[in-house]
Amino acid sequence: MTAAKPILLAEDNPRDAELALAAMEEQHISDKVVLCHDGAEALDYLYCRGQFKSRLKGNPAVVFLDLKMPKVNGLEVLRIIKADTNLRTIPVVMLTSSREERDLAESYALGANAYVVKPVEFHQFLSAVKELSTFWGVINEPPPEGSCSSN
Amino acid sequence: MESATNDRPQIPLAPAEEPKPRATGAIPIDPEPFWRLPITWFRALTIERRILAGFSLVFVGILVISAVSYRNTSVLIANSGLDTRSHELVQLLSNIDVAMDESENSHRRYLVTGEALYLQAYKTVVEQKPTFFKYLNDLTRGSPEQQQRVGLLNQMMDRQLNAEAGAIAQRDGGGFEAVRKMALEGAAKQELSTIHRIIAEMESYERQALRRRVLESAASTTNTIVLLSIGALLQLVLLASVYYLIRHDITERRRIATELQRRGELLEAANKELEAFSYSVSHDLRAPLRHIGGYASLLRKTVGESLNEKAVRYLQTISDSAKQMGQLIDDLLVFSRMGRQEMLLTSVNLDQLVKTIRYELRLDLQGREISWTINPLPEVPGDPAMLRQVFMNLIANAVKFTSTRPIAKIEVGVNRRTSGEVVIFVRDNGVGFDMQYASKLFGVFQRLHRVDEFEGTGIGLANVRRIVHRHGGRTWAEGMPDKGATFYVALPTRRPRS
Repeated sequence: MTAAKPILLAEDNPRDAELALAAMEEQHISDKVVLCHDGAEALDYLYCRGQFKSRLKGNPAVVFLDLKMPKVNGLEVLRIIKADTNLRTIPVVMLTSSREERDLAESYALGANAYVVKPVEFHQFLSAVKELSTFWGVINEPPPEGSCSSN
Repeated sequence: MESATNDRPQIPLAPAEEPKPRATGAIPIDPEPFWRLPITWFRALTIERRILAGFSLVFVGILVISAVSYRNTSVLIANSGLDTRSHELVQLLSNIDVAMDESENSHRRYLVTGEALYLQAYKTVVEQKPTFFKYLNDLTRGSPEQQQRVGLLNQMMDRQLNAEAGAIAQRDGGGFEAVRKMALEGAAKQELSTIHRIIAEMESYERQALRRRVLESAASTTNTIVLLSIGALLQLVLLASVYYLIRHDITERRRIATELQRRGELLEAANKELEAFSYSVSHDLRAPLRHIGGYASLLRKTVGESLNEKAVRYLQTISDSAKQMGQLIDDLLVFSRMGRQEMLLTSVNLDQLVKTIRYELRLDLQGREISWTINPLPEVPGDPAMLRQVFMNLIANAVKFTSTRPIAKIEVGVNRRTSGEVVIFVRDNGVGFDMQYASKLFGVFQRLHRVDEFEGTGIGLANVRRIVHRHGGRTWAEGMPDKGATFYVALPTRRPRS
């Protein structure tokens, strides 16, 4: 069990974030979630800089990435994570509204570990988020790793 | 057939010019003037045929010029042969003339002196005479007039030589005195002068013939030069016309190619724009829907116990509507993707395809009694995923619209097969439709039934038509209200070009 490891959720839309958190709350894992509102913030968290300068060291158990975000979008964050030797072992799940083939193709080409289309129907959305966060945040054993990378 | 207006042979005109049948007695419209017919004919030809016609004319011109030149050159060569013969003849005649003179003179010297040496010239003539006449006959062959003169000349020479022979015999027998008169006057003076006359006539005749031939050759040469010049000029004009035709055609083709490319670029730009639009629809329009549904659910959970039945129904309707709109957007996206998605072209086994579809539908078939008739189906060229969607839609529709029947009957088979296409049908005994709405069936979001009768967004058959069109095929349907429906898909049996 990896109870200590946080889940990083990068989601610019506050409503989507709230709904996702509501779903995780039912699983009692919402307190493990770190919410970032754009790609730049997510990168700050991963690289322990900016507002996350003094955070507890260590990579998250999983990163849930929205595709369309201001400043740095999901695909760019994904590219940076997978290009960094210290970060590329972190499981990354794309969580998006887009079912476009080129988004799918590009995400997998960049090394995404999973690609989930947010269901429009709330119950489906709820169960999707629940299952995802349980699997990646609780069931899955994350890779062993050292401390926060210093880029 | 129209009434004959003149006795000129009827030459078929271009189809556009076909005279309309007219009432007898009406004033006939004068057909095109005769000389315009080749032009009309030429205009009706394709560019390839025009060029071929031009080159054929050039070829015929070359043939004519070659034939005439060959003929003229043959005349020139024949004349030059005849000229050589004439010159030889004139030379031979003058030799004979000289020889006969010589023979007479030296013979007279013999008569006077009795010296045998002087008989040499006479003997030579007697010896050479057959040879002379062999040549003369050769050289005058083909000219009866000259041959006649040759005969005369032969006689005269014989007489001269005979006279001379007689005189020699007398001299040998009776000495100088016996031939004194002959020695002074010459034994065959008259014959010799006749010979001179004949030879002069023959020479003059030959020289005339020579002059005639020179004139003829000169005329022939002039003819040839004129013909060659006119021919070359005509060929030049023809070739220039053909060049103009080809050039004109190439310019036109280039212009069309440029225009096509420009339109292609415009289309591509429009397509890109559309793609960006549908991408944004896919992403941005779905989020608020998710929020509507999500917050409605959260609201119900938060205040669930205190809500009355009506309020619960309202919340449910909000969720359902959001869900339905999400479905519509998804269907629309699939439809738009179907139009631009790359087609994978392989051979699709429809038998296998229908089998798979029935397996995939098995959950929807629970609790239903359906009598299936699946006839053998062919293999067709196409995109397997797309064709799967076509038959999935058609069969799922058949299943859906027979749900009110105690025993549903669904039949799939080949309606007919030609060399170019195969027509496959899916028939059911369901609720059917009114043929007057048949044209609406395949439209986007067109439904012939109320939502509470049969669910669905109305995109299925639009997708079917779009996919079949992309395969180069056709779709249509037949039905009657409450009597079932039959959907037809005609697919080409050869691979489409793109």
